[in-house]
Amino acid sequence: MGGSLDYIWDGLITAVGLLVRLDPETFSAVAATVKVSSMSMGLSLIIGLPLGFALAQTRFPGRRAARTTVDTLLSLPTVVIGLLAYTFISRRGPLGGLELLFTLQGVALAQTFLALPIVISLTAAAVEGQDRRLRQTLLTLGASARQTARSTLWEARFAVLAAALAAYGRVVSEVGISMMVGGNIKWHTRTITTAIALETGKGEFGMGIALGVVLMIWAGILNLLLAWLKKRSEP
Amino acid sequence: MSRSRALLICLALALTLALISTPALADPVLKMASTTSTANTGLLDYLADLFKKDTGVELQFVAVGTGKALALGANCDVDVLLVHAPAAEKKYVDEGNGVDRREVMYNDFVIIGPPEDPAGIKGLKVTEALAAVAGKKAPFASRGDNSGTDKMEKSLWKAAKMDVPEKESWYVQTGQGMIKTINVATEKKGYTLTDRGTFIKFADTHKGNPPLKILVEGDEVLFNQYSVIRVNPDKCKQVKTDLALKFADWIVSEATQAKIGEFKLLGQKLFIPNAKK
Amino acid sequence: MREVFHLSGLVQRYNGLTVLRVDELKIARAAILGLVGPNGSGKSSLLRILALIEPPAEGKVVFDGRPADFDSARDRRRVSLLLQDPYLLQRKVFDNVAYGPQVRGEKERLKERVAGALELVGLEPARFAHRSWRELSGGEAQRVALAARLVLRPEVLLLDEPTASVDAASAVLIKEAALAAVRGWGTTLVIASHDLAWLEEVADETIHLFEGRPVPGGLNNLLLGPWETDEKGRTGLRLADGQVILVPGQRGRAEPAVVDPARISVSLERPAAEPGLNLLQGLVTRLGLSLEGGRVTVTVSVGGLKLTAALDRRQVEALGLLPGREVWLGFAWADMTWLGQEPSPDQGGEVEVEKRAIRP
Repeated sequence: MGGSLDYIWDGLITAVGLLVRLDPETFSAVAATVKVSSMSMGLSLIIGLPLGFALAQTRFPGRRAARTTVDTLLSLPTVVIGLLAYTFISRRGPLGGLELLFTLQGVALAQTFLALPIVISLTAAAVEGQDRRLRQTLLTLGASARQTARSTLWEARFAVLAAALAAYGRVVSEVGISMMVGGNIKWHTRTITTAIALETGKGEFGMGIALGVVLMIWAGILNLLLAWLKKRSEP
Repeated sequence: MSRSRALLICLALALTLALISTPALADPVLKMASTTSTANTGLLDYLADLFKKDTGVELQFVAVGTGKALALGANCDVDVLLVHAPAAEKKYVDEGNGVDRREVMYNDFVIIGPPEDPAGIKGLKVTEALAAVAGKKAPFASRGDNSGTDKMEKSLWKAAKMDVPEKESWYVQTGQGMIKTINVATEKKGYTLTDRGTFIKFADTHKGNPPLKILVEGDEVLFNQYSVIRVNPDKCKQVKTDLALKFADWIVSEATQAKIGEFKLLGQKLFIPNAKK
Repeated sequence: MREVFHLSGLVQRYNGLTVLRVDELKIARAAILGLVGPNGSGKSSLLRILALIEPPAEGKVVFDGRPADFDSARDRRRVSLLLQDPYLLQRKVFDNVAYGPQVRGEKERLKERVAGALELVGLEPARFAHRSWRELSGGEAQRVALAARLVLRPEVLLLDEPTASVDAASAVLIKEAALAAVRGWGTTLVIASHDLAWLEEVADETIHLFEGRPVPGGLNNLLLGPWETDEKGRTGLRLADGQVILVPGQRGRAEPAVVDPARISVSLERPAAEPGLNLLQGLVTRLGLSLEGGRVTVTVSVGGLKLTAALDRRQVEALGLLPGREVWLGFAWADMTWLGQEPSPDQGGEVEVEKRAIRP
């Protein structure tokens, strides 16, 4: 029994050392994750929020098909998205000229496809969950179509924020896309998750655990935020 | 709506910040595809540092399985390759995907297994050892991922005049990296083929007393030849031919070859430079 | 004086079900129109159409002399609707009231305008402006909602049961504020309410809706059956004291009918019997004043049923009618309006198609 616990203990000690010393390799991975997730979240929110609202409130032909498509995309595995992204942005692919492969921007773009269905689907649900009287009230107070959209999203702000956090959690913890599209290049596209995959593959549990700890703390904070938001959204 | 406007500004800021902070690099960048086992030895970091110092060019390498590395070159996604699968490499050049293949160095493979050695392969030649393993149906972990190591292993079965025992229950294909494959072999108290470099690291993590020991080594057929191949500039218009050439010339130069010989992994020499003079 | 609204051929449907059918409705500027009817009678649908927030399935809506624009906010911003249940945006009171002006881009004197509107509904700005929407009672919330509409000084103000879900004090304040709007700004008011006494007091005209259609003469005398046919083939409604209201032909058991109050005669002696005339004996329970035509409403209890007749003031004086007086009521079959469903025109068409198919 002592043997198998030993390497976990050693790993933990190495981890604490790395974190306390602000080890550049470790924190380069953290910075990469922060950069890439901010980019993909920003993009998916700008696109996804209005689309989610439109899906919930506007009547257009093929609306139900669109809803089903979005819900199906929710369960796409990250390796599939990563593979598809690779085929598109590889030099040989149609978007090869953009030179996005092995860059954080490329990873962020592909991750947007991971986050977008979540944002759209949950935002649509949040808007649908709104009282019918909200729309009537906004209209009768004189809001234009665009003002109604903005105000509806604001009224549902806690649910919308929860949707954003759910998408963020997924984006921050994925490996498949970062690996395939980013290439796990040291100092450049090595994120927390790809670094963990790499380091444990090399047998270096210390850094793997250190990064895992950072990720868990971050996930913990997000979950607390989510719980607090849920409480706030209840009248 | 000053609140939602503020939110939009924050989002836009985050986006632009992220985009800006990955600036157009001042230093020229050479993209290389190599293998996980090579990267795991630390040699690539060592070479990248030296290359930067000698030429000012930043070497960015992607470490994947040999199959994927070759594919990346074929898709023009990298500029140069450093791999160790001579048969596949020759085919690669013949097909026009790579040019200017030059041998750089070699390390060797070893067959490791439990000290009890249930199949009794210690000290045997490779072909005999594999026959013994198959005969005793001893557990054998394989990379099964088309990597250089995997290709080497498959060629050894062939050399022992056997089919690759893919469907046998004692033959386990992990589809993963070398360390993970060794771990699987350890769990099953079985054998596996590994490069010496990974084994050195493995032994080190077990404080010099690893659960699996080297049982078969030194057989010439276990030598693992590394070569540098430039991605074909005729096929891939955007490849950085000048930088790739610089790297290829540099890695076979006397100075670098000497440095390769000096490289130690956890106190042990790993590579033997053998670029043609 | 131009009408502010002219509706014609109006039909509203939800999920294929017709909920409103108004052939013609004109609303004069600065008028006060009352809407009365049970739940599901189509009042709210009509109000939403007038508010220009829901287009009708069929029909024309002419607003201020031009066809109403349901797509843009242009016409919609001149009309405002107060919903039945208090509903506020999830923000502070001030922001709720300021929302209307803000979406119109009106920034000048905002604080003063909001304060003025809050005072109109009896909410002290200093105390209420910064309260959150959560911290208000039902009555206070409805008053804030009304303030949010009043701050806009709309040309037309529509109120859907404004005092239904609030406490008595709030009800009084709401009623006063609405009337102040009319007096102060010439706002046209359309009020849907169960408070018949209030409507009688303030409305220039009251429309009664029943199952989506306006009922002339109102719903005061609504007879819901049960209509029974005896062995002799006569159909009627038997009252608690044994009197019977007879009707011609066959009727569905619960088919509703109304009797026009203006067509009910009241006398102290039993009138002569005539075919097609119902004569009933009862007790006067209430006398009231109706603004419409300055008539007096006389409510008579007949075998447990309450019927209301509308008489000229002088008639009432001449008969010496007072609560408790025994009187005779008379009304003809022709003065009864049946409210049952008309046969659908489609059915005839369907049959024809089938016949054609069978022909070789």
